[in-house]
Amino acid sequence: MPPQVFRICLLAVGIVGSYLVARYVLTPPSFGQYGWYRGEALAELASREPVYAGKLECGICHPDEQEKLIKHEHKTLSCEGCHGPGQAHADKARKDNIDKSSFAVCLRCHEANPSRPKFIKQITVKSHYTGSKCTECHVPHMPLEVP
Amino acid sequence: MSNPLSRRSVLGKVGAALAGLLAAPAAKAAKAAVQKVFVTAGAPKGYDPTQHKWRMAIDANRCIGCGLCAEACKTENHVPAGPYFRTWIERYIITKPKPDSGEARGEVLVDSPKGGMNGFPEPPVPKEQIQHSFFVPKLCNLCEHSPCVQVCPVGATFDAPDGAVLIDPNYCIGCGFCIQACPYGCRFLSPVTKTAEKCTLCYHRITRGLKPACVEVCPTQARIFGDLKHPAPDDPLQQFYQNNRVQTLKPHLGTEPRVFYAGIDKEVR
Repeated sequence: MPPQVFRICLLAVGIVGSYLVARYVLTPPSFGQYGWYRGEALAELASREPVYAGKLECGICHPDEQEKLIKHEHKTLSCEGCHGPGQAHADKARKDNIDKSSFAVCLRCHEANPSRPKFIKQITVKSHYTGSKCTECHVPHMPLEVP
Repeated sequence: MSNPLSRRSVLGKVGAALAGLLAAPAAKAAKAAVQKVFVTAGAPKGYDPTQHKWRMAIDANRCIGCGLCAEACKTENHVPAGPYFRTWIERYIITKPKPDSGEARGEVLVDSPKGGMNGFPEPPVPKEQIQHSFFVPKLCNLCEHSPCVQVCPVGATFDAPDGAVLIDPNYCIGCGFCIQACPYGCRFLSPVTKTAEKCTLCYHRITRGLKPACVEVCPTQARIFGDLKHPAPDDPLQQFYQNNRVQTLKPHLGTEPRVFYAGIDKEVR
């Protein structure tokens, strides 16, 4: 074999060899587990802690309130829609780590807006009631009952 | 010539089979032990992404524009304050055409103040001039042929086997190609991490058996979420597919979104 051919072959082997070594060392262990990406990324994204606990979690300690809710018009509502995120409260129940909820929450859905579909009951605050609280007349967990 | 069924060969084969039977669980246990090393602490156990196919659907007929979903998404996913949204609500207002203009409809006005997070103010045009108006919740369309996945130069974004399109934050270099590529404007560059971020279908929630935060708080069930591989007996997603005529956003682009919309108008894109 002529020496120049031998040197080219040696160079080629060196280049391919260093590529293979780099690939062996630098490829993450979970690469290719599900496809052309790091499979471990899925577990990493899943490892974050939830902030909203979910309706089931609320029902463990407050079954009576939830029972009222699911029997009435507001049955599709989530507890945390009005009371705010509740995972902290579910982990360690205290009075100050969950929202009491306020009338602003009612208006979020029930204030009149021409873009809203007709099935949702809508009010104009000025002509509806000028008092301070919706709960003077309405029970949020049983909206059609009169207190 | 040796007999293929000689005592020696049969005994040998039986022995090998027994050894194989004994070795298989041992090998499996060893593999599991090795895999344990690579599992991130805190990740939900027993979740196999190949056993699920998550889908979201939007029934815009039921959206009342309360903005709870956009707010919940921000809180749940620690999305930076400011104009960064993984999901948001748009208000479409189609005005009446000018008299004698010969047009079927007038102007199309679209707005989304703060992503609809704090609800919507009075419409910018008087009520009498509105032909019709509606809300459309928007999120990642979970395309079958995602342009964002195709353009990523480092392979940081991918289509997970369970139907979510995710970003590996350790791989993302923050070049922003995917943000330009997404025809639905569903991605943004986080000013905190300097990487691209998007809707993950609340991956940390769905892997724990919870619903995504936006679906959880939606008061009217305008957002429907389910698993195609394990449909519940009265699965809301299956009912949605049965009861609605659906469409996708920008079908002419060939991205084949997997988020189906019901009750939207041709102006929605």
